Amino acid sequence: MIRHTALFTGYELKKSFSNPVWPLFGILQPVLYLVMFAPLLKTMTPGGSTEEALRMFTPAAMMMIAVFGSLFSGFGLIAELRNGSLERYAVSPAWRPAIVLGRVAKDMIVLVCQAILVLVVAIAMGVRIGAVELVLVLLLMAATGLFASGLSQGLALTVRDENGMSQTLNLFMLPIMLLAGLFVPISFAPDWMKAIAPINPLYHAVEAGRALFAGRLADTSIPIAFAVFIGLAVLTTIWSMRSLRKIAG
Amino acid sequence: MIIEAHDLKKTFTTRSRKGPQTVEAVRGVDLQVEKGQIFGVLGPNGAGKTTTIRMLATLIAPDAGTALIAGHDLLKEPAAVRRQLGYVSQAGGVEDTTSARAQIMMAAKIHAIPDPARATAEVLERFDLTEIADRPGRTLSGGQKRRVAIAIGLVHNPPLLFLDEPTTGLDPQNRANLWERIEQLREAGTSVLLSTHYLDEADVLCDRLMIVDHGQVVAEGTPAELKREVSGDVITLRVDDHARAAETLGPLARETRLDDDLLRVYVDDGEHTLPALLRALEEQGVKLSSIALDRSTLDDVFLAKTGRSLRDTGAAA
Repeated sequence: MIRHTALFTGYELKKSFSNPVWPLFGILQPVLYLVMFAPLLKTMTPGGSTEEALRMFTPAAMMMIAVFGSLFSGFGLIAELRNGSLERYAVSPAWRPAIVLGRVAKDMIVLVCQAILVLVVAIAMGVRIGAVELVLVLLLMAATGLFASGLSQGLALTVRDENGMSQTLNLFMLPIMLLAGLFVPISFAPDWMKAIAPINPLYHAVEAGRALFAGRLADTSIPIAFAVFIGLAVLTTIWSMRSLRKIAG
Repeated sequence: MIIEAHDLKKTFTTRSRKGPQTVEAVRGVDLQVEKGQIFGVLGPNGAGKTTTIRMLATLIAPDAGTALIAGHDLLKEPAAVRRQLGYVSQAGGVEDTTSARAQIMMAAKIHAIPDPARATAEVLERFDLTEIADRPGRTLSGGQKRRVAIAIGLVHNPPLLFLDEPTTGLDPQNRANLWERIEQLREAGTSVLLSTHYLDEADVLCDRLMIVDHGQVVAEGTPAELKREVSGDVITLRVDDHARAAETLGPLARETRLDDDLLRVYVDDGEHTLPALLRALEEQGVKLSSIALDRSTLDDVFLAKTGRSLRDTGAAA
């Protein structure tokens, strides 16, 4: 089981890094956000300094790559469904969940690499974070990524069509992004948005991320975010493994 | 016996706007394949060939029926069955971005072969792929891709290989090349179950074959046996009056059959029947616009069993 998962993880990683331009593009987006969006936010933050703005926006940028980087990874699975390689793996003696788990694990590893790069940029720009908080942020990102990747693989195996998949993702992305306070914190929002934001799981991740960057280790948002995302990640991962069973008896 | 299947059945339900629709893809198929044989499943598109192979390859569970594959029960020990299989689907399963070598190596590792690098190099050599081994899948030609697909399926030396429509979409040269390689499998002792809608392919490659149509087996035997059943030669005529021609030729033929606007006359010895046939038509005043004499093919078997020509079903011969 573990051997096969490791085998598929390695195989997928090699595939990702055989053309390192794509994962690089993936990192570029949050870095550009940091460089170009944080200064804009400066005028809106209470302290009015770039450091304050970055402290608020860096956790949002990290959660953004965690969710949106991994949400699209299911497209690869649709391609493999079509070219028949998924079917081929399903007939092999491979432990079937490993076929999906390997991809999810690959997404997490790529994610952590991207997160470290974003952090380096943020730190270079003046953000400071403690060691414990740093580890917790990375763990929270990993859980968020696991949720998004599992969701994406499950969705790919259920929808089985690139068009349907991108439409479905687009439908959910905008409300999830805005209701999480990724760009503008929810504290600026009207009451009705404040009331529904907690339904959005990403809201909790962003809140917890901000608490961690602010050094508020005792903040209740942190255990809430971990509980929500570990729970969701388990659910979506199980769903994606089940969906594989559907395509292959 | 490497495959012994009894009464396999599979019905699919598709949901559409008109409500659920059921398609009986496979309606009770029996199948016996001996060790070392190349066994063909011949039939038009939609006859249930792929569904049958997918059931035997543990990809979909049959609704009914039993099967013993390489000594293991298909339903009770699918994992053991999978270890004995090589499976090459119609799509091929060659990935676009990865090299042939990496894909074959991955298959070797999944099967836990002691020396995956050597096994990969050997199978690459065997299929003349060494030179293109490190190119990504999408840069390969159709024929090369097929060879990579089969190499992936064979790297662990399985006793049984499934080939689902292995030559569909290939040009004649690549087809002939692939046929040779499939025939070499027989010498290596690998049993092969292959599906095809090409008559000549089934005829050339298979030790035994079954003809399927609408999810049922309509005939089974060696290609020679099947053709003998229909008779030796077939004379194909285009005439102005089919009924009168058929009536006139009845005494000379074993069977006459109307296939669209062509009259097929089955005879034991075409060369010697032809003059008498022409004379008889002349005497009756039947106008003849064309005539051809052929050895009967598997298409004639298909026509005799199903009343349709395989060519009419949309499958090219």
